[in-house]
Amino acid sequence: MFRTEMMDINMGPQHPSTHGVLRLKLLLDGETVTDTDVLIGYLHRGVEKLCESKNYHMIEPYTDRLDYVAAMYENLGYVETVEKLMGITVPERAEYIRVITAELQRIASHLVWLGTHALDIGAMTVFFYCFREREILLDLFEAFCGARLTYNAYRIGGLPWDVPPGWTDRVRHFVKIFPGRQQEYDTLLTKNRIWLGRTKGVGILKAGDAIDFGVSGPCLRAAGVSYDVRKAHPYSVYDRFLFDIPTGENCDTYDRYLVRMEEMRQSLRIVQQALDGLPAGEVMGKVPKRIKPPVGEVYHTVEGPRGELGFYIVSQGEDKPYRMRFRSPSFVNLQALPHMVKGSLVADVVAVIGTLDIVLGDVDR
Amino acid sequence: MKIQAFLQKVLLLELWQGMWVTLKNQFRPHITVEYPKETVEFPPRFRGVPRLRKDPQTGEELCVSCLLCEAICPTECISIVSEKRPDGKGKQLISFTINYERCCFCGLCVDPCPTKPITAIYMSHDYEFAGFDRDSYVTAREELVDGKPVKIYTS
Amino acid sequence: MISDNIIRNFIIPLTQVLVILGVASGAVAYMTLVERKILAFMQLRLSPRRVGPHGLLQPIADGIKLLLKEDITPDKADRILFTLAPIVTVIPAFTALAVIPFSGGGTFQIFGYQVTPWIADVNVGLVFLLAISSLGIYGIMLGGWASNSKYPMLGALRSAAQMVSYEVPFGFSIIGVMMLSGTASMVGIVEAQREAHVWYFLPQIFGLFVFFVSGVAETNRLPFDLPEAEAELVAGFHTEYTGMKFALYMLAEYTSMIVVASIVTTLFFGGWLRPFPNVEALGFLNLGLDRIHPVLPGYFWFLLKTFLVLFVYLWLRGTFPRYRYDQLMRLGWYWMIPLSIMNVIVTGGVVLLLRR
Repeated sequence: MFRTEMMDINMGPQHPSTHGVLRLKLLLDGETVTDTDVLIGYLHRGVEKLCESKNYHMIEPYTDRLDYVAAMYENLGYVETVEKLMGITVPERAEYIRVITAELQRIASHLVWLGTHALDIGAMTVFFYCFREREILLDLFEAFCGARLTYNAYRIGGLPWDVPPGWTDRVRHFVKIFPGRQQEYDTLLTKNRIWLGRTKGVGILKAGDAIDFGVSGPCLRAAGVSYDVRKAHPYSVYDRFLFDIPTGENCDTYDRYLVRMEEMRQSLRIVQQALDGLPAGEVMGKVPKRIKPPVGEVYHTVEGPRGELGFYIVSQGEDKPYRMRFRSPSFVNLQALPHMVKGSLVADVVAVIGTLDIVLGDVDR
Repeated sequence: MKIQAFLQKVLLLELWQGMWVTLKNQFRPHITVEYPKETVEFPPRFRGVPRLRKDPQTGEELCVSCLLCEAICPTECISIVSEKRPDGKGKQLISFTINYERCCFCGLCVDPCPTKPITAIYMSHDYEFAGFDRDSYVTAREELVDGKPVKIYTS
Repeated sequence: MISDNIIRNFIIPLTQVLVILGVASGAVAYMTLVERKILAFMQLRLSPRRVGPHGLLQPIADGIKLLLKEDITPDKADRILFTLAPIVTVIPAFTALAVIPFSGGGTFQIFGYQVTPWIADVNVGLVFLLAISSLGIYGIMLGGWASNSKYPMLGALRSAAQMVSYEVPFGFSIIGVMMLSGTASMVGIVEAQREAHVWYFLPQIFGLFVFFVSGVAETNRLPFDLPEAEAELVAGFHTEYTGMKFALYMLAEYTSMIVVASIVTTLFFGGWLRPFPNVEALGFLNLGLDRIHPVLPGYFWFLLKTFLVLFVYLWLRGTFPRYRYDQLMRLGWYWMIPLSIMNVIVTGGVVLLLRR
């Protein structure tokens, strides 16, 4: 007589809220998700293989295009990996400027996340307010390195330029006005009952599962695991700054939202301290003209806005890497998606994609 | 405390606060610009399309055809052809082509340019270079040097 | 010679209908522009400004664009229903305008005929409105089903559930007004508010709240725009629609918004009345329009109030996230319906006590 059928529905690669070209195959029972198939590869460019035919200088612009929302971190991770392989020491001032720009980049990246996440859930205006502040940051980056998205801002051994005159004052101004602006997002979302309803208890990822999936970054910290590469394995000059690692306890989308909001405040703290302690001096260390690392291999991680961002380089002593491998946090975090959306509604899938904060350039590489 | 929470829930306080924020912002000045009519200011380091230049004082060719920019370009968009000068001192350019289709605006070509402090190749501030055919992106030396502007679409 | 009867019963109403249809379509077109402008100002960006001075001709350009667009009917769609659905949606939306009293306090004298400023004053006006406004849902359901596509079908199902559950509080919430005024005629309700010396939004604050929330839900606007929820369902029930058919859906949506705003104005904010209509000293609020014709200030106040209600619509859209499907149902059945029933009981009790 009557029978019910499961419905296969294809979400993406052209869908307003799959953040690029992610494709999900959902098996729906009514509106309840029973099974999810994550299909990726629509943005695959083979960067890892491409790097094997480029010398070490040339690779940096390619790293820009991995996680294009937080390209500063890709640059940072890459140059630090090569520096670690070659044993280059970077001048103090360069390290400090790297920390400042990287932390500002974390705020900019979280602003994109907050804006798109809120937009997916329907709060349209938050998106524009977030981009208003991101615009200030992009202007700062543009003044520093000349580009707004694909920075190519660091060089192996230091920085190509010192900061332009007046730049630190502009950063200080941003540090001063940003808490007030963040208050606006807070008012619009944090206590809003619709927002609470849409995020609380949605997409639960428990600590054990998160570790099993290899999830890192805010998604892991919202599950209560206080793991942050900046504290666990301090790189650059992060061991000199005071900052907290926010953690959540309910492991849901709302906690991940709170953790990221708090991370923006902590980043601001780091920027403030780095500005206060900014030493004078050179920004470029002693680096040979042709970069030929010794034979060997190296793995180095930095804490990107999305999680642990790793670089693995095998060198055969030539000016090109023998093998290059990126551990991109988006790719690893995306694994947890089917687990997180099982049994929830279609609307929650969108919320979970938003909360994982994936960048498809980072997933597909 | 409980009464306060209860009141907050019943009177929809947090919703009103949110609406107040959007109402307040309605009276702030807009932050976008009406693009083709007005454009934003660029900082001096802005990386637009790469160009060649002559010495601003003497008007002489700056490029010494050292091929360093060609070698470092990650997308291989620069191609230089040169020959020995008749007097045997250095090389002279025959052609210098940048394929804007491939260029990724990384600015690496400017770093190794030996003609310091004014580099022969530089990142200009031009950014509007939409075109109808692919050939128009392969820009030859004359256009690069004279700074023949890439077609500007803004009024 | 056309008889007096024909003119009175046919030509005058037809003219009224045509005028109001024309004005309403124009209002809808400019409503889209107003929405874009207000949202843009809230979001600190520029609104459409390229077509005409300050973008004032934008709705016309949009209309021309929609007319000229290719009209695509999907291969596997049910052609008849697919074409019929937008029409079924748009007709009830416009029909509802028939009983809305745009102004009052007198009639126009045109060629010796008495012409009312509204189309019809039906003595069951409110009931008629309820009946008509629930018809619009059929178009949405048909459209979602006839597209034979998955996202529209999900949108149509959501919309069916949503509209059915919000129809109940929508109806209940106006019973309080009917009890206070003792009539279901829209004109009668406004007159009753004049006599009561108070607009009904004060005694009927819960009624207003429930009515407005259900009204937003009925017209599928944020935060209740689940049938079209663009972040989840691409565009919901009208995903497969293009060109003029799509325009009809938009027309219906905005007309329904205007209708709901007009009803709110009429029922709760005294319709065409100026603030404190019984205080002669405030006569200057009519801006001298009443010296030209006694009906004119009514139009002014009616439009102003309706616009303010519509502004709240846009304001909500600019501020809030979207509810989830199950939460929306819960809000409707757990909060809105009990609240509206309570409102009916309390209002009834108070009216009964005052009559004694």
